[in-house]
Amino acid sequence: MTDDRHISPEDLTLYAMQALTQEESAEVRLHLAECPQCREEFAEIHSDLSFVAMSVEQQPLPQGARQRFINRIAATAQEAPKTEPADVIPMTPRRAIPRKAVWLPWVAVAALVIISVALALQVRFLNQELEIETTMIGARNAETLKARKLLDVLTAPTAQHVVLTAGKTPPAPSARAVYLASRGALILQANDLRALPADKTYELWIIPANGSAPIPAGLFRPDASGSASVVLPAIPQGVEAKAFGITVENVGGSNTPTAPILLSGAAATSGE
Amino acid sequence: MTENPDNPIKASERSLNNPSVAPGPARMRSAEDEALLERVRAKDQNSMTDLFDRYGSMVYSVALRILKDPGNAEDVMQDIFFQLWENPAVFNSSRGSLGAWLLVVARNRAIDSLRRRKPSDSVEDVVLAAKTNLASEAESHSMMDKVRVVLNGLPSEQQKSLELAYFEGLSHSEIAAQTGDPLGTVKTRIRSALMSVRKAFNA
Repeated sequence: MTDDRHISPEDLTLYAMQALTQEESAEVRLHLAECPQCREEFAEIHSDLSFVAMSVEQQPLPQGARQRFINRIAATAQEAPKTEPADVIPMTPRRAIPRKAVWLPWVAVAALVIISVALALQVRFLNQELEIETTMIGARNAETLKARKLLDVLTAPTAQHVVLTAGKTPPAPSARAVYLASRGALILQANDLRALPADKTYELWIIPANGSAPIPAGLFRPDASGSASVVLPAIPQGVEAKAFGITVENVGGSNTPTAPILLSGAAATSGE
Repeated sequence: MTENPDNPIKASERSLNNPSVAPGPARMRSAEDEALLERVRAKDQNSMTDLFDRYGSMVYSVALRILKDPGNAEDVMQDIFFQLWENPAVFNSSRGSLGAWLLVVARNRAIDSLRRRKPSDSVEDVVLAAKTNLASEAESHSMMDKVRVVLNGLPSEQQKSLELAYFEGLSHSEIAAQTGDPLGTVKTRIRSALMSVRKAFNA
């Protein structure tokens, strides 16, 4: 019925001619109450309809119709003074009571109709919201499942880690970090690390972009093949990283990195 | 009914029901209507009768065209004017010209009566574009003739859809069922017919 913002001229025309269903009419009425542009077109349509009415062939009034009208309004004029005696305080409210009694149910019905329509619109809106939320949840579940599979592969003890290099070239230690600052999520996968003495450990560091002190991001030791990983260490959220570094520290780790930094890498611009 | 000596409008100028009445400028006619309404607000019966004389026949004719029963048509007409008498505030100049406004209200009330239902809208909802002024041209009947020419010149499908919706009070779905046309087509035809009328009077 609407083009998201306005009622179509066709439907406005039908509404002006009372040719819409009650539900459709209620929707138009609500929109008109808030839309000056549609009200303007609605007034134009009423003008058009008044022209159409003029196509009707004029007929003389029925005999006596004029006098009947005069009598009717005269009767009300005569009733008025009776209900308003100047020196009598009425025990009950005058004239307004029957008028109110007549109109009150209609006002109540109108209010109920408006409330019903508003509720119906709200229910429809909430249903749409629910559909959107359900779709988003489904998408997130799929993402979670995929991430879990990825982690399973990366951290599985039985996973085979294969490094392909040029023949006879001794592999150099390397590491790859994946970092999502907004969530404080970090994954590091390192390869070809040298074995360490029992009292030493590797430690990963985040070098913040704001120049503050490096943040420890996990201790790790390589396996027999030189591979190691750090998955989702406990680190603060929202820290933009300038770079990452790996140092060798005493078992138990350190609060500040100890030179030299064995591996380091500058962080690319965040894609968030 | 006696002549009201305080009436700002001459008796000879008060009737639209008499085709011989000379037309006046639109603004003057609106000003006259407004002056009469002002007196009606003060419960002046003569001014109310003058308004009845001006527009009663037009309102009755529209109601009769729809209801095809003189008694019912008069009831509709009487009720409309009586409501204006009881509550003159239902109309003010921001709703367009009084004559055009009364025609729209008459058509809607007649359709309500035809469907044997309570009034489905409030007269407060009936607001016409400010430019619409029925009175002056109506007096000379040129506007009526012009409308008839425009409507007769419409394609027959448009004429029929407009006739069924406007004078018989059918909904668009009822028209579609009766004519066998798609709903969208019915809507478009009615809209197109009205746009032809608008174009003729905006030209």
